[in-house]
Amino acid sequence: MGSQLANAFLNLISRLLEPREREVILGDLTEAGESAFRSSLAVIGLVARRQVGLWKNWRPWLAAFGLALPGSLLLMGFSVSVSRAYQQYLDLDVVRASGFHLGVGFVLLLCNLFLLAAWSWTGGFVSGAISRRTLWVTAAFSFVPCVFCLERFRIESLSRLCLLLFLPAAVWGVSSGLRLVRLRPSRALALAITVTALTIPLWPQKGAWLPNWALSWPVWYLVATARRTA
Amino acid sequence: MLGEFEYLLIAAAIRLGEHAYGAAIREELQTTTGRSCSIGALYTTLERLENKGFVKTWMGEPTPQRGGRPKRMVHVTANGVQAAKDFYEAITSVSRGIGWAANRVGSLP
Repeated sequence: MGSQLANAFLNLISRLLEPREREVILGDLTEAGESAFRSSLAVIGLVARRQVGLWKNWRPWLAAFGLALPGSLLLMGFSVSVSRAYQQYLDLDVVRASGFHLGVGFVLLLCNLFLLAAWSWTGGFVSGAISRRTLWVTAAFSFVPCVFCLERFRIESLSRLCLLLFLPAAVWGVSSGLRLVRLRPSRALALAITVTALTIPLWPQKGAWLPNWALSWPVWYLVATARRTA
Repeated sequence: MLGEFEYLLIAAAIRLGEHAYGAAIREELQTTTGRSCSIGALYTTLERLENKGFVKTWMGEPTPQRGGRPKRMVHVTANGVQAAKDFYEAITSVSRGIGWAANRVGSLP
């Protein structure tokens, strides 16, 4: 019974290794005649060493502390802002107002929606591209602020899910980043210029530059990497 | 410059020649140095040496002794041999005249 449990644990823990490496390591341990318990310790040791090795690089740190943590907080705030703008746009009192104001409001809403999607996609893309093997940590750094904000969400007129409006684009971005999809330099540059231009109205606001650039730098990272691989 | 364990690993792989693979290198290291060698240390060092171009690895044939699982074969490259020579020369040079090494390396040029 104990041996079966130890073997089951070894099989489970060895799944943390890549398939080819798993076969080699388990083969070595079998050849050395190690017990399932000692083999499990050996595999845990290898996985731990691999993880420590990955974190000696700057990329996982940037993805976790420069993208996932601040990005998810800011994008949740922006998701709520866009949701409220949409709610106000649909408000009948506003509809009764002049057509000119409605038009401006609609364009602003569209711009903000585009900005939200672009920031989310590019943030997700860069996270996926630079932290492929530590993505689970990056995901945790995004997940924790989401749970925190969902728990404390107090706007009665909006659903809590509005906080997660950024999520589909972000997940799509992560998926593209993992596949290392490359944008053409011209497209990346056009996207970066558009995103930056859309933030210009916010520049005069005191303190707005920090969240703007915290969310906008991934798009310029895309430009830099697209140029390099062109 | 190689690290101590990197040197030991390269030396063990050269001694084993065509039969150098993970488990065999581990056993060789444990036998010759009397120190235990963890799988984690072995494979992370092997990966580092491969990234530096000092060894090449490839998947070998599976054997029944290993539960039908393949070996990771190891070949030391010319750069790896040179790096190991440099390490050995540095160690013998710096050890010359020191009490514990006098009998072993005192006669070296």
